[in-house]
Amino acid sequence: MTDSSGNVKIIAIVCNWCSYAGADGAGTARLKQPYDFRVMRVPCTGRVDPLLALKAFEKGADGVLISGCHPGDCHYSEGNYYARRKFELLKRMLPHLGIEPERYTYTWVSASEAARWQQVVTNFVTKVGELGPRQGGAL
Amino acid sequence: MSGAEIARQDRIRELARQALTEGKVDYFIGWKAGHVPSEVIPAFVRNVDECDMLLWNPLCHHNLTTFLKRKMPDPPDARIGVCVKGCDSRTLVALLQETLVDKERLYVVGVPCDGIIDRRRLEKAFSDEVIDIAFQGEQVVVTTRGGETKELAYEELLLEQCASCDFPNPRYYDDLAGELLPQPEGPPRFPGLEEYEALSAEEKDRVLADAFATCIRCFACIHVCPVCYCWDQCVNRSRRPALVGQKVAAKENLMFQMVHMFHVAGRCPSCGACDRSCPVEIPLYLLHRKMNKELFEMLGFQAGLNVEDKPVFQTFNIDDALGEQ
Repeated sequence: MTDSSGNVKIIAIVCNWCSYAGADGAGTARLKQPYDFRVMRVPCTGRVDPLLALKAFEKGADGVLISGCHPGDCHYSEGNYYARRKFELLKRMLPHLGIEPERYTYTWVSASEAARWQQVVTNFVTKVGELGPRQGGAL
Repeated sequence: MSGAEIARQDRIRELARQALTEGKVDYFIGWKAGHVPSEVIPAFVRNVDECDMLLWNPLCHHNLTTFLKRKMPDPPDARIGVCVKGCDSRTLVALLQETLVDKERLYVVGVPCDGIIDRRRLEKAFSDEVIDIAFQGEQVVVTTRGGETKELAYEELLLEQCASCDFPNPRYYDDLAGELLPQPEGPPRFPGLEEYEALSAEEKDRVLADAFATCIRCFACIHVCPVCYCWDQCVNRSRRPALVGQKVAAKENLMFQMVHMFHVAGRCPSCGACDRSCPVEIPLYLLHRKMNKELFEMLGFQAGLNVEDKPVFQTFNIDDALGEQ
């Protein structure tokens, strides 16, 4: 797989109902995906504490991708509406903590969007791969 | 001390006396003189004849609402009187928004505030021990043990956040000690960030690594914070989940502080109590002030302004236009 750099570690935090199913669908459809990311399945993006992403960086992740149901499609109606405010704050705070903004993103991928999942992870992994591994002293 | 300051102090004493005499409160929380002249400490006044120890001057930096955050006051049904400055009142409002304190059992004395002196900066300006601090109008007269007496301008000694204060008046109070001050115009200000913000990612990483290497995890920032109230349930104390490592090193220490910062997001008005309590002088304002700046730019949100408002992370707007991809 040429679009993987192979030298970065990426954590993908995905919700059980949409993005995990979307990623699963991408696998079932044998869509080519980079292999540098590890998937962490959560019941809903509403459960995701921004600290999980920070912890991943602290533990040596080079990038963190969070993905859930599209706004309006949350399995629990409104989990992702609460979540996106937190994710946005995290997005704005990360550069302040010395982490390049390209290393974090949050997005929405539904269960039927296997092709979109493929595109999202490929883009993200490529961007993080270009930056290479992190040498963080603070986080 | 200016006439206005003395009038405020007199009024605080008068209101405390009145509240205790009428039985409106079981005790009254204010400020009193500390063990050294540069220090003012919190006071719990239970008797009417103790009211005269209550103080008001530009050294009263303690945010007294921190004593309300324990959901179990002593005794549990105690009625409490408390003094709040503008910034303190915002933390009180944040607690009230989440019904973490009982409005009915509180008697709040609002104190309009001209700004608090940076006690550490004042002490550092002298190589000798400071034995007396007197406030004379716009001047602060400091005497040291060696007999040196110096007049310093009050304006120049102010805490950075006080020099550009957006809320000199309390946002919530039952009675006011003194006249309301003019409300500053314009958008909120977040001083002291420009220099750090201009650094590259690598430089920021180095600055934070250096600053947080010295953290001793004493929990002072967390315990003094009026809006950080999980006590024994704090994830920073927990090994399960092991969100924060036991190792006391820069990474773990910054993670420890991020737990504090992210958990008070939406309640923290940057009162600066954490900065002032830090025994190793970690510039925590770099984190909480930045967080509030971003929250303001994101959603136009400022913590603790009105009791009826919903905290920003406990509500949402379907039309929030944020930066997801």
